[in-house]
Amino acid sequence: MTPASDRPKGTPVPPAVKQQSVKQEREAQRQAKVAAFKQAQKRKNRNRRIGVWAGVVGGVAVIAVLVTSVILTLPKNASYPGGGTGNGSDIAGVELFTNTSEHVEGTVDYPQNPPAGGPHNQYWLNCGVYTEEQTNENAVHSLEHGAIWVTYDPSISDAELTKLKELLPTTYVVLSPKSDLPSPIVLSGWNSQLQVNNASDARISAFFEEFWKSNNVPEPGAACTGAIDGPGKV
Amino acid sequence: MVSTSSGGDADAPVVDDGGVTDEELAAFDAERSSEGSSRTRIVIAAMAVVAIVVAAVIGFSVGRLSTLDDPTPTTTSAEAGFSRDMQVHHNQGVELAMLIRDRTSSVDVRTLAYDIATTQAQQSGQLYDWLVQWGLPQGSRQPDMTWMTLPTLAGATGHAHDGGASGSTSSHRPGDPMPGLATPGQIAQLTAADGLEAERVFLTLMIAHHQGAVEMAEALQPRTTNAAALAFARAVIASQQAEIELMTGMLDDRGGPVALAD
Repeated sequence: MTPASDRPKGTPVPPAVKQQSVKQEREAQRQAKVAAFKQAQKRKNRNRRIGVWAGVVGGVAVIAVLVTSVILTLPKNASYPGGGTGNGSDIAGVELFTNTSEHVEGTVDYPQNPPAGGPHNQYWLNCGVYTEEQTNENAVHSLEHGAIWVTYDPSISDAELTKLKELLPTTYVVLSPKSDLPSPIVLSGWNSQLQVNNASDARISAFFEEFWKSNNVPEPGAACTGAIDGPGKV
Repeated sequence: MVSTSSGGDADAPVVDDGGVTDEELAAFDAERSSEGSSRTRIVIAAMAVVAIVVAAVIGFSVGRLSTLDDPTPTTTSAEAGFSRDMQVHHNQGVELAMLIRDRTSSVDVRTLAYDIATTQAQQSGQLYDWLVQWGLPQGSRQPDMTWMTLPTLAGATGHAHDGGASGSTSSHRPGDPMPGLATPGQIAQLTAADGLEAERVFLTLMIAHHQGAVEMAEALQPRTTNAAALAFARAVIASQQAEIELMTGMLDDRGGPVALAD
């Protein structure tokens, strides 16, 4: 890096250069270096600006893609009233209970009327439409399998009964008259119940959406056929 | 050396150099001569890490977004309707199979019934769980069979199929009984029979039941892109068509179909 080494080897030294003092030569060299330094610094600053902005834009874009993908693919909540929690929390008037599920013989004194779960007979009641009162201990076993027991006061009109039947699914339902009900129509699932005054009540369909063949009964998917028919099966 | 050149000269810097000090120039020189130094390597490593993280985030996002091609079915979708109706259909298949096992001692019919009952109970459970996984209720406010009237993905409306030998087309309407489903009277007929008569009632009923299930599975195929649903439909069609042939042979050996109750 000494001045002598900067000159190409074997080239004659130009007279002008030769006449420069060592001091002048050093100054010229310094200026050249300053120019290079300034240019390098300029380039560095520009590159830094480009880098920062590219980083910011790219980072925002990547985060946006991530957030969008997560939001668009979030697991959907259940689309029915109780939100799939099996508690029917959005259906006004639904009562929930906690019952045990042993098999017993003889009659059981149930805490709910009609019973909505509890100890029951080994033979479940085949699902379907019945014109006579049914034995609690058999019907409760059907609730354990996911059926809904729809009970109605025998005094409701034929038109009401027809309307009620039209609301019911073809399987996993027991429909039967029952005396001493707390309301004209009572829907009972395992550990769930809804009292309504008439078949026009929109909560009947909501109750079925929430509790029919529920995943929260002790034996979801077990049959509601193949055991015993009660009296008055249509 | 330049870095030390001005040190000894008291009158050296006479030209304006924009306030660049000798220290800066020295650092500049050092930087130029130190390419491939440890600092550069650290910068390159950091950039590589950032690139890997960015690539991972983009890959993850693209993967998540690609699942939108096969979105979770809605409650009024063909997939949901099929899942509900086919459970009803399969559960009756189990019921019929269990009834015949109690009414005959023929090993071939009993074994066939065992096969049907276990297969259809398992498949019914699969359909049940699809609805659970999709966050949909097991029941719908729509009438049964409504899904079979939905337009196909190709745009054809309604349900048209080759109606057996006649080749005519038939349409289903919402609320119609499912194809091949035995009526309560027919179940009572099977329940009341035993021995050879029960076998003939069962085989007659179950052939129609299988044909109906195949029809429902075929109705699902043009209405879904869901991989699980398509695989299920293919399995039902293949296995039940094979069983229809088997049962037709068994029924012929026993004197052919019987007249069914309404």
